[in-house]
Amino acid sequence: MQPTPGIDASNYVSSFNLAFYFIVAVSLLFMIGLTVLMLYFVFKYNRKKNARAVQIDGDLRLEILWTVVPTLLALLMFYFGWSGWKPMTKAPDDAMVVTSVARMWSFSFAYENGKTSQDLVVPVNKPVKINLVALDVIHSLFIPEFRIKSDMVPGRETMMWFLPQREGQYDLYCAEYCGLQHSYMSSTVKVLSEEDYLAWYTDTTAVTTVAEGSAPGSEGFAILKARGCNACHTSDGSKLIGPSYLNLFGEQQIVIRDGKEVPVMVDEEYIKKAIYDPNSEITKGYPKGLMQSYTGIVSEEEIEKIIEYLKSLNEQ
Amino acid sequence: MSAHEGMQEPNYLEFKGKYKGIYSWIFSTDHKRIGLLYLFSILSLFVIGATIGLLMKFELIAPGKTIMDAKAYNAFFTLHGIIMIFAVVIPGLPAVFGNFMLPLQIGAKDVAFPKLNLLSWYLYVAGVLMVVISQFTGDQAPDTGWTFYAPYSFRTAGNMLPAVFGAFLLGFSSILTGLNFLVTIHRMRAPGMTWLRMPLFPWTLYATAWIQLLATPIVGITLLMIVAERLFNIGFFDPTLGGDPVLYQHLFWTYSHPAVYIMILPAMGAISEIIPTFARKIIFGYKFMVASSLLIAFVGYFVWGHHMFTANMSGKALYIFSLLTFLVAIPSAIKVFNWISTLYKASIYLQTPFFWAMAFIFVFMIGGFSGLIIGSLAADVHLHDTHFVVAHFHFIVFGGTGFAFFGAAHYWFPKITGKMYDALWANIGLTVFFIGFITLYMPMFFLGVAGMPRRYFDYDEVFHTGNIISTMGSWILYSGLSIIITNLFVSLKRGVKAPADPWGGSTLEWTIPSPPPVENFIETPIITKGPYSYK
Amino acid sequence: MEEHRDDLASKTGMWLFLFTEMLLFGGLFVVYSVYRYINADAFHLAAQELSVPVGTINTIILLISSATIAMSVTAIRKNNKKLSLLLLGFTILLGLVFLGNKYFEWGHHIKENIYPGSPVLASRGQGDVLFYGLYYFMTGLHALHIIIGLVFIGFIARLIIKDRIVSDNYVLLENSGLYWHLVDLIWIFLFPLFYLIT
Ligand code: HEA
Ligand code: HEA
Ligand code: HEC
Ligand code: CUA
Ligand SMILES: [Cu+2]
Repeated sequence: MQPTPGIDASNYVSSFNLAFYFIVAVSLLFMIGLTVLMLYFVFKYNRKKNARAVQIDGDLRLEILWTVVPTLLALLMFYFGWSGWKPMTKAPDDAMVVTSVARMWSFSFAYENGKTSQDLVVPVNKPVKINLVALDVIHSLFIPEFRIKSDMVPGRETMMWFLPQREGQYDLYCAEYCGLQHSYMSSTVKVLSEEDYLAWYTDTTAVTTVAEGSAPGSEGFAILKARGCNACHTSDGSKLIGPSYLNLFGEQQIVIRDGKEVPVMVDEEYIKKAIYDPNSEITKGYPKGLMQSYTGIVSEEEIEKIIEYLKSLNEQ
Repeated sequence: MSAHEGMQEPNYLEFKGKYKGIYSWIFSTDHKRIGLLYLFSILSLFVIGATIGLLMKFELIAPGKTIMDAKAYNAFFTLHGIIMIFAVVIPGLPAVFGNFMLPLQIGAKDVAFPKLNLLSWYLYVAGVLMVVISQFTGDQAPDTGWTFYAPYSFRTAGNMLPAVFGAFLLGFSSILTGLNFLVTIHRMRAPGMTWLRMPLFPWTLYATAWIQLLATPIVGITLLMIVAERLFNIGFFDPTLGGDPVLYQHLFWTYSHPAVYIMILPAMGAISEIIPTFARKIIFGYKFMVASSLLIAFVGYFVWGHHMFTANMSGKALYIFSLLTFLVAIPSAIKVFNWISTLYKASIYLQTPFFWAMAFIFVFMIGGFSGLIIGSLAADVHLHDTHFVVAHFHFIVFGGTGFAFFGAAHYWFPKITGKMYDALWANIGLTVFFIGFITLYMPMFFLGVAGMPRRYFDYDEVFHTGNIISTMGSWILYSGLSIIITNLFVSLKRGVKAPADPWGGSTLEWTIPSPPPVENFIETPIITKGPYSYK
Repeated sequence: MEEHRDDLASKTGMWLFLFTEMLLFGGLFVVYSVYRYINADAFHLAAQELSVPVGTINTIILLISSATIAMSVTAIRKNNKKLSLLLLGFTILLGLVFLGNKYFEWGHHIKENIYPGSPVLASRGQGDVLFYGLYYFMTGLHALHIIIGLVFIGFIARLIIKDRIVSDNYVLLENSGLYWHLVDLIWIFLFPLFYLIT
């Protein structure tokens, strides 16, 4: 969709511009002025032209002048920044609420009717309040075109809000460094018209079960992809963050449980436990605390499909 | 000129002490030799850190993988940041030129605690070694960025312990240097050198030393807590155990913001030496220069929160931090105005160090003004953690401290080595370096405004153009720097012999032969007037 | 190069160093206060489990040792080498007793499976985890300072035996005394924080 010119993408664009361009303008003025003055002095009072320096050890009036004027300008700069930021701290009461859950390395957005989505879909001209939840480490939800960002701190309830003013698609990035795939932790904001949004919101057909072909386990693979598992696991035997899916199922393996090494058999129970309670048993050689529980996100049926996929990898 | 000219006192480079060869350096407690030990270590680390920077830029020349994978990139910017901050710019000017010049400029024989001074260097080397070890042992190199943010620094498989402990040792070394300088300045000024007759470089070292002393222990204990956390799961900053990751950020920046003034104050001091010398003129507003150094050091303690504008800190007292951030810019402004006013009705001797000082003022202003932009709340919410911030700190850390370092190196080269460098090549090097610098970092401002986050191994196609220009800038910069360093090394061998006072400087170090004798001053100088007294 | 002697410089240096040490612990006190504020009840209950008598005894031990080392300085100033050495020996002894008490105290908790990372502690909730985490870390760091102080004092005692520290050159002894007072002072802060304020 081509953005409509003339309308700001969000309510923060104009206050950002005010603060930003005011400081840029004052800065350029001083930059150019001072640089020109410096060059002028260097030419004029060059040794060749001015063999003897005049000793001047200071001037109180000048010192006061160039303390007071920059201070006033700086206070003005502060004011514009502050007044643009103030509204960010409190969301309007009529804002719609979305909960964003960040984990290594994907965002998901949960709506009030239980719908979840990988993209952030919002209606135009309605304030949106996003509750920010981080499961593992600090992430940061950043929508450049809206001129807004807020860190997502595990263990802390935080929020951000904005008013999308222009229909269209915008990038959404994770701005706080969070590990290997930090630069791939991104998503899209879709600002829809009121009707399109309603249509999308009330459509509750599940999105993840679209099979990609009919090979055994292909549904399982689609689930792994949609849930962001592939950020850490591969199917080709290479080690990314967690163990590879390849030749995993049905094998004997060492895990660390309560600080002791125990051999276990990778069976259906084990896989389920690995997904719902990953930190109770840590596969030897891998760090604890990286994989978080997917309880309530990956259903039991989905796990069965995943297992089917894992089995299909063994037969090769 | 000096009365010592022509005396047969051995200079510090030729002096034969108890030890021979390399031992006469690494066991030396002479502040001049220790200064050179630091110079050598810091330059080597700078070349390593800079080469890593070059490789990172190579990776960023196009979206997707070009020469390294994400794992390597993340490890690289971490190592680059740790080396450049903790091992290059923080010790840079104080440990090299401070060590060498402080006693000379205040008319002392050495620093107050020469053995402690050597110990600081050992700690420095040990810290660097730990950081290096972290790269080659364990499963994976550290990959947290130089900020070691919790809780990621507890979760990563990276080999954090030696890196964090190395940073701790580097901090300890910095504390001891600061302590040494404080006592030196208080106790060892030559007779007649009252506080207000002290040159400006020692003054900035003095302000810096207080920051080193009062801020570094905080980061020291914070880093130790990270070590303990990784070893014993104590829970300090781990939300699953009840800890608060934002508290970590507070503790980290309580040090690391004042630390940026550790980097810039001595740089400002060096510039304040170069300008009067080449302008043949007393510095404009000496007392205001002194006061602004102390003010920067003092106010600098209260602005750390500006690194956390989007961190959801409790209390939302953000605007206080923003307000103070704007106020801390005022003393810097005073300095810029005074430097430029010093040139008024001067008699300027156009030499390489002076060109560096001019370049410094220019890039420092860009860096400073970009600092104002991100000090503004509404603007920083958008610009935080983007390449705009990366541009800001390269402009002010590399452009500020780095330029001043090279300026100081050219200014004091004759004094330290007893040789003159080739001025033509030095100026060519500076020009290429300057062009490269602007080409490399200017585009990052635009990338940041467009929304490119930092610490990104890969990026969207929209950011491509800016990154290409920037990467090409890094090659120009690389060429410039190679010219500069090569020229200095070649001049060591081939340069003509330097007189005691090649520039016509007025501070004490120019009254003794180049290179200085072991004991610095044959007779203790007696000071009767302020510095920069030209007639 | 002959080293010039400036006692005032040495003492100023020592004071500045002690200042950085205070700040080192200061950082920990900040962390402690923040977490105490968040977990007031848990800290309250956990603090009651520490043995006040043992803590009190250790406080008294350190206070006495501070006095003995101060007396040792006076003794050397009066040129009484023997007394000075005796008092230093006494200080070291007291330091060792302090460490011994600490050892048993820690051992007691560890036997009860209360140490960072232990499942028993984890099951007691976050406030307890933080309290004991801080307890072990802060008293551990303090104990490390005691050990460093003891080594330092031992080294000083050797210098006295060799007559390198005498009645008109005793700044090193004075500095070790200052260091020891600091270690004592930090304990004076730790003691109420962990044992008394319940
Ligand atoms: C040498 C080091 C150095 C110095 C001196 C400074 C100086 C300043 N810095 Fe910078 N800063 C860094 C190194 C430094 N900084 C680093 C390393 C980071 C990033 C850390 C990380 O996240 O990895 C950083 C990050 C950083 C941030 C956080 C950004 C973010 O992460 O979102 C902010 C925000 O306020 C900031 C602001 C400032 C300001 C206002 C100054 C001021 O002191 C500048 C003052 C100077 C001037 C203003 C120019 C001269 C003035 C005039 C010519 C007169 C005219 C003046 C007026 C009209 C007011 N800096
Ligand atoms: C003093 C501080 C300093 C200096 C000098 C530099 C120098 C450089 N830095 Fe810097 N940089 C930092 C401090 C510094 N950096 C910090 C603190 C970070 C943040 C890390 C983090 O996020 O945690 C950072 C991050 C950072 C990033 C951001 C990574 C990201 O967020 O994705 C990038 C990307 O381009 C970069 C690039 C460079 C480049 C190209 C140089 C170049 O300018 C290097 C220039 C020099 C050369 C190219 C020449 C090398 C010269 C030779 C080899 C000469 C050899 C010749 C002879 C001996 C004869 N740096
Ligand atoms: C942030 C990275 C990350 C993500 C995302 C992730 N995992 Fe994991 N996973 C790990 C790590 C690390 C381990 C090994 C440590 C452990 O056993 O907890 C692991 C272990 C496993 C295991 C056990 C493997 C073995 O060798 O015993 C299974 C099964 C698994 N993950 C499945 C999944 C599924 C399914 C998803 C998505 C719904 C997923 N993982 C998402 C990091 C991740
Ligand atoms: Cu999530 Cu970066
Ligand atoms: Cu700062």
